[in-house]
Order: sequence, then C-alpha cells, then structure tokens
Amino acid sequence: MAQEQTSIPSNRASRVAALAGAGAQVGVNYLKHYGRRVVGSEPATDTLHEQNADVVYDAFSKLKGGPLKLAQMLSIDKNMLPEAYRNQFAQAQYSAPPLSYPLVVKTFQREFGKKPLEIFDTFSKEAAHGASIGQVHRAAIGDKTFAVKVQYPGVADSLNSDLAIVKPIALRIMGMSERDFAPYITEVQKRLLEETDYELELKRSIELSKNSRSLKNIRFPDYYPEYSGKRVIVMDWIDGIPLDQYAENEASKEKRNQVAQSIWDFYHFQIHTLLRFHADPHPGNFLVDENNAVVALDFGCTKEITRQYRDDYFRFLDPALLEDREGFEAAMRKLDLILEEDSLQEIDLILHNAMLGTKLLGRPFYEKSFDFGDEDFMKSIYEFGERQRTDRDLKQMKTARGSPDSIYLNRAYFGLYSLMGLLRAEISARSPGTRESS
Amino acid sequence: MDKAELMGRYREHVLETGHPPASVYAFTKSFGASERDFFEQFASFDALESGIWRTAVDETVAKVQESDDWEGFTAQQKLLTFHFAFTDQILNHRSFFLARFPRTTDRPGWPSKQLHGMRDSFVPFAKSIVDTGMERSEIVCRGPLNRGYPQGLFLHFLTVVDFNLNDDSQGFERTDAFVEKSVRLAFDLIGTQAIDSAADLVRFLFRRKS
Repeated sequence: MAQEQTSIPSNRASRVAALAGAGAQVGVNYLKHYGRRVVGSEPATDTLHEQNADVVYDAFSKLKGGPLKLAQMLSIDKNMLPEAYRNQFAQAQYSAPPLSYPLVVKTFQREFGKKPLEIFDTFSKEAAHGASIGQVHRAAIGDKTFAVKVQYPGVADSLNSDLAIVKPIALRIMGMSERDFAPYITEVQKRLLEETDYELELKRSIELSKNSRSLKNIRFPDYYPEYSGKRVIVMDWIDGIPLDQYAENEASKEKRNQVAQSIWDFYHFQIHTLLRFHADPHPGNFLVDENNAVVALDFGCTKEITRQYRDDYFRFLDPALLEDREGFEAAMRKLDLILEEDSLQEIDLILHNAMLGTKLLGRPFYEKSFDFGDEDFMKSIYEFGERQRTDRDLKQMKTARGSPDSIYLNRAYFGLYSLMGLLRAEISARSPGTRESS
Repeated sequence: MDKAELMGRYREHVLETGHPPASVYAFTKSFGASERDFFEQFASFDALESGIWRTAVDETVAKVQESDDWEGFTAQQKLLTFHFAFTDQILNHRSFFLARFPRTTDRPGWPSKQLHGMRDSFVPFAKSIVDTGMERSEIVCRGPLNRGYPQGLFLHFLTVVDFNLNDDSQGFERTDAFVEKSVRLAFDLIGTQAIDSAADLVRFLFRRKS
C-alpha cells in the first residue's frame, strides 16, 4: 500500500484538496456563506472561534433528507448564490420526525419475522439519536450493547420525487440548462440511492473498517450482518463524545490536534490508497472515545474514483503549476473545467480565478503545518467567494463544468475543512505514508 | 353452514369471477347449499361483505391486544400498532379488498352501508384508545367534543385503508409513512391546546365585534 502512494504527485504542497480543480468553485460558497456570519457584522474577535464552530456544525446538522443533500452538494460544487439557495431550499426542507416504536416493530417483523425484544434483551423504545435517513436505537443482549440503525420507511421511494421538487429550483438558481444539469443530478441520485441501501452500507462499512485497520488512533465499531437487513444495521454501541461536543468541550489543543490529524489522515488514506472514500464527513459521523481515539461511523455514502481521476485532480496541488499558466490550463482542460468552446477571454477569466482559488484553498498543503483555527484564512476564503459571487463576468458563464465525479470529492474536502475548523486544529496536511517531494 | 364458511366461499367467487354472484340462489346452489342456509346468517350480500370487513377489524384488534407490550403503550402507539397490523391483515386478502372495499372515490354515500359492521367493531376499540389517551393526558379534555373522536378516528382509518389500496410503492412503504404522519398529526391536534387556543381567539374576536 505504501508503494501506491508514491504515484501521487507528492510535493508536500501538492497533496490536497478539492480545492484543486474547481479552485474557484469549490467549497467557497459554503465556506463564505458561513464565513459571512462569522466575519461579517461581528468584528469582535473573541467570539469568532465559538461562532465559527457553531455555525459550521449547525449547517451540517440541519442538512437532512434528499433535497437538502442535493442542495448541499450542488452548492458546494457549483457557484451558487448562498442567499438564494438558503431561501429557496428552506422551503423544500424535509425534516423527518422520529419513527414511532410500532413502526420499528413492524420493520423488524418484516426484516426478521421477529420483534426487537425477541432478538435483544432490551431495546429502547425511543431513538437514541437520529441518522440522516433513519434513527438509532440502543439495544443489548446480556451486557453487550448494540446500536441499531433503522431506516425511515419509503425513503428510497420518496427520493426521486424529492429530487424532482428540487430540480427546477436548482436549475433556476444556477441558470443551467436541463441538459447540462443531467450528469450532476444523475450522480447525486445514484449516491443517494446507494445511501438508502443498508445492505450495501453494511458491506462497505465492513470493508472500509477492515482496510483501514492499520491506521493509528482511529477505530470502527464491529458490524453484525446476522442482525442486519434492508432497513436495519446493527453495530457495537460505542460510548464516546460526538465530535461537535468534543470540539466545544475543554479538550486541550494537543488533543484536538491529534483528533483532527487522525481524521485528516484517515481521509487521505481512503482517497489515495483505497480510492474509495466516505463522502460525507460531518461531525455526526465521528465520536471521540476516552483514549482520544476517533470512532468513525456511518458509511452510507461512499464514492469510488479512478486512479487517473485522482491524479488529474490532485495535480493542482503542485505549487509549480501555479507559476505555470500553460500547465495549469492543460490541467483544467483535462478536468473539463475549460471547455473546447470557451473564448480566449473566458479562458483568461476562468484561469485567473481558478489560480487564485487554488492558491488560497491549497494553503494548508503548502505549509508544514496549518492552523485551521486561523480566522484570517476563513476570512480570505469568504472574501474570495464574495468577489466571485459578485463578479459580473463570472456570473454570465452558465455552462456546466467539471466532471460529476468532482461533486463528492469536493464535498468530502469541504466537510473535512469544516471539521478541521470546528476543531480549531493545527495539523500537518501531508498524507500519511508520503514524504517530501519524490 | 357458518358465517366464516359463507364469507370464504363468497370471497372465492368474487375473486374467481370478478363480480358478486348473480343471486343468493345461484351462489348457494354452486356449492350445494340452500338459500335458507345463507339467509340464516346474512340478510344480503351487502350484509355479508359488511361481515367480512368487520371480521378483519375484529381479528386485528384481538391480535394487537394479545401482544405483551400492549398495556404499556401510549394511546398513539396503540393506534399506530393497530394500523400497521391492519395493513398487514389487508395483505392476506388484498385482491378482495381491491375488488370490493368501498372507496372514498365511490361517493356519494361514502362511507357506505357495507362499512357499518367495520365501524361497529372499530369505534369501541377507538374509544378505549381515547380513554387511554385521556388517562395519560395525551389527549386534552374538550368535554362533549371528545365523544366525537372515535368516529373521527374511524374516518381516518378508512382513509388509511383507501391509501393502502391505492399504494403502489414497494412493500407499501408509503402507507407506513402515511400512517405515521397522519397519526402524529391527529395526536398533535387532539393532544395540545392549539385548537382550543384558536377557538378561544375566534370567540374573543367575535365577541368584540358584536
């Protein structure tokens, strides 16, 4: 596995982010959107840290259900107006109240022909907490405790109609044509449908935890296929502090850094070595246990990329490329970020912005260690996004750009940056196993 | 010849021919019984169908009340359990339900006479649920208005059956979701002061004007 890593363009600075390709497009919208609330009207710096964490967490915890996920992903990938987005999608918001116990019983009977209490000694009637398309109950056999995830009924079924509701709104906001939009929506639909497939999720969870066993300071619950089915997944109940609470608590900077570094390394291992990654890094998917180790949960949404695509994508992190306009342009073309039909003027505009964006968003990778608690970084991302948003020339470009594959890679990096910000952590953004330029 | 056997034969006839028998005479003759055998049990085919719907409710009620958790359930959980059990019950005879169950779209006259048997079985059951709810203060006491709740729950029950029969989602999942959402709404309405507050406001405004 270590050898595989050498094929990554591996200047220290050349290893990250989503930032890359889209440069301009990336998580900018999202970051700037939250950045606005952080840096906007409230210049009192002492409260900035707290707000930062709150805001980012809020944003993620609220995004549930099909339309919101779609919205989330499109807004990350496309240069979408955050205001318009927020207002429009607030109306389409889908929030699922908890499943009633009788329905959980019915689900069990349908899956296993047994009631929960015929399988477990105890089973909580109320959900312990929610999951994006289901909820988690606590159960026990003897003194062994389990987390039982139960899916909402009809989720898969309602998904398509949910997407149908969002589509026209998204089209309007982004000013895209149906045809340009189709590949993106297909990609999102595919991933979302996968997410409703608990049998697949079980398989992926087991695979991923097996493959990642060698990583330090990160652990996974055991999964129990014998109690799992189409609508139910059973795993170990792990006591730990949810990441968002952990970040708010009094954990020392060293501890937070350790947690952040473990998560960061985990993602780089997935993206670069496994070429399949968990595309939804948000605080709800991580716990921190009593030894300060990270527990990773919930692998419903994973994305596979090809080695070729990864190489093309991460090429942007080569700092030399930032000085090499032609090379940069070639790399952009490879990812369909510059298209055949673009005029010279358009190419200039795109290149200019993408290089700026890449430089800015790639910063964590150019430095030996990077402090995500740095407000100035957030602020410059926000300002950059704001300039992009208001730029009249950029606004006029409506063609869809970039491969649909980038949606989830960008999303993963956006989530990762947010987590790092949440933890106010200083980490080394190098991927595990890679050293200085080879 | 008992009721169950007649209902069974009737169901079979409808499912195989696609329509009710031409007459009681023809019906009983087909299995070598007399009209008298029939009329001792049912006054008409309508009465027989009514008996079929009623039996479905009776059986479901008996089944859910058997379960261990039943006594500990809240009113809402009891009602949900009933609905889930009934949709399950429909699965056993779905074709017959589809063929003969009086639908909301059959207006005017809905809920029709054939549903009276079902109502007679469901309403006392619903009343016991409402009583549970009152005891557990899940349901706000609104005096005489509460007496209408079982009837209201019956109409809701019919819409659930109707929804289920129109449902073409896999595993009838949409029905499950419909049950969850509509029962929750119903309990929100009868379980909080929202309606009382609204009524209070309206009364207040009305008095001011006069």
